[in-house]
Amino acid sequence: MGRFFGFFEEKFLPVAGRFGSQRHLVAIRDGFAGILPLIIIGSLAVLINNLPIQPFQDFMEHVFSEHWKNLGGYIWNGTFAIISLLVCFSVSYNLARHYKVDALAAGLVSVAALIILTPLVADGQGISLNWMSASGLFVSLIVGLLATEIFRKLSQMNLVIKMPEGVPEAVSRSFASMIPAMIVLAIFGILQILFIDVIGTSVQDIIYKSIQAPFQHMAASLPGILAIEFTKSFLWFFGLHGSNILEPVIESVYLPSMQENIQLFNQGVSAYQVPHIITKPFIDVFVAMGGIGTGLSLIIAIFIVGRSRQVRSIGKLGGPAALFNINEPIIFGIPVVLNPILFVPFLLVPLVNVTIAYCATSLGLVPRTVVMVPWTTPPIIGGYLATGGSLAGSILQLVNLAVGTFIYLPFLRMLDKQMLKNAPVEKMSSLKTIDQKDTTL
Amino acid sequence: MGLLNIVLVCSAGMSTSMLVEKMRKAAKEEHVEATIQATSEADLGRFLDQADVILIGPQVRYLASKIESQAGPYGIKVAVIDPVYYGLMDGAKVFEQARELLK
Repeated sequence: MGRFFGFFEEKFLPVAGRFGSQRHLVAIRDGFAGILPLIIIGSLAVLINNLPIQPFQDFMEHVFSEHWKNLGGYIWNGTFAIISLLVCFSVSYNLARHYKVDALAAGLVSVAALIILTPLVADGQGISLNWMSASGLFVSLIVGLLATEIFRKLSQMNLVIKMPEGVPEAVSRSFASMIPAMIVLAIFGILQILFIDVIGTSVQDIIYKSIQAPFQHMAASLPGILAIEFTKSFLWFFGLHGSNILEPVIESVYLPSMQENIQLFNQGVSAYQVPHIITKPFIDVFVAMGGIGTGLSLIIAIFIVGRSRQVRSIGKLGGPAALFNINEPIIFGIPVVLNPILFVPFLLVPLVNVTIAYCATSLGLVPRTVVMVPWTTPPIIGGYLATGGSLAGSILQLVNLAVGTFIYLPFLRMLDKQMLKNAPVEKMSSLKTIDQKDTTL
Repeated sequence: MGLLNIVLVCSAGMSTSMLVEKMRKAAKEEHVEATIQATSEADLGRFLDQADVILIGPQVRYLASKIESQAGPYGIKVAVIDPVYYGLMDGAKVFEQARELLK
């Protein structure tokens, strides 16, 4: 088994590492991180509008008249409804910052380029909100990256307009991004002529049908999500932040489904009837309880069978953070990393939990996720909120926690016994000593 | 040496912020004046002009070379936190690691 881990450490991890630090993917990840507060605010506005507590609804209507729900609707318009626009700016800004070119200018130029490519509606009186929403997400990512790349190449070529002597420096600097911006916008303008006037359809339509929709469809299937969860845990097993590495992919494919769910829920469709089962909150709430590998189950198992001082002290240390779904202390403390005993349950528990939650949801026992809760929301509360205020969501969390604990128990007992045996000379085991133990197994 | 400025980085700055508390305690016990903060990888840029040392969470160690190239021009020392001390949230040991780097 030691050789098996060694193989991955050598061949697979550098690839994962490169993927995790690739500049365009990092820009996408940071871009999504930048707009996350807006997404959560928009989503909470919808939740409050649709909270299934009748006295609350009656009270609000009585005090503020039936127009009170407009507030949430307007907030939705400024957040989730224009998510592609927000992402385009945010991704471009982060990429430009990486290249150390004028990030604000790059972001603005990218937004301009995206609007150039977006079809107009109502006889040129409006831009299509449909493509500003998550349906246009892939195009907005591509435009954000592409426009920024062209912009920074041109900026670095120093194509500046030379001002006559005596012109203040601030003035000539304000013209510095002029020529690069002009060329970028001209390129996107020509592209738009090609798409609309020659081909006769928008680039959004083409990309959505040929790339975005198939990807979303694949990711929304049970095998799709199982593969993603497996990869995440597998990376974490080697001590790499799998969630962080896969973030650009996960956000891009699951955000549009989530938006569709929230939007329909806001229009009065019941949380049982919205279209998508698998979303990011679905994973955050029903699977990643206490962090990756359903860490909270692991901690509960520690308190049930753990007798060795090391295991119990890590449990106490990591417990409070795990309530907010942060579990690095457990991952590196016990450690889970490269621990042959915990390899199986650590990878298995999330897969089992995904499957249970998927079945429970598709059987209609639990509503689908219609609220974007922050990933740090503690279990039980998270399940209630994400399902639009349904206790069934909390109950499913409890079931998954119990099943996870049950799977962890025998493995933890084994680990605990081994730790007790080593107790007299107990020094906290490092990754190296685990490796040595491993070869004797 | 004047005020010591240490910045810890991980994906969202969440788990490193737990360690920050413990490191502050350790610094106090050793009577060393130090500013210790945690940040997400995306926000690191804001700390570059003040930091003396940047410590990276072991789970994002693949970002080390990227962060080194960011921090190099500022003369900031960069290291990955020892995973064992990270798991044990051993503030004193990690604080020691930071001070070693500056020697």
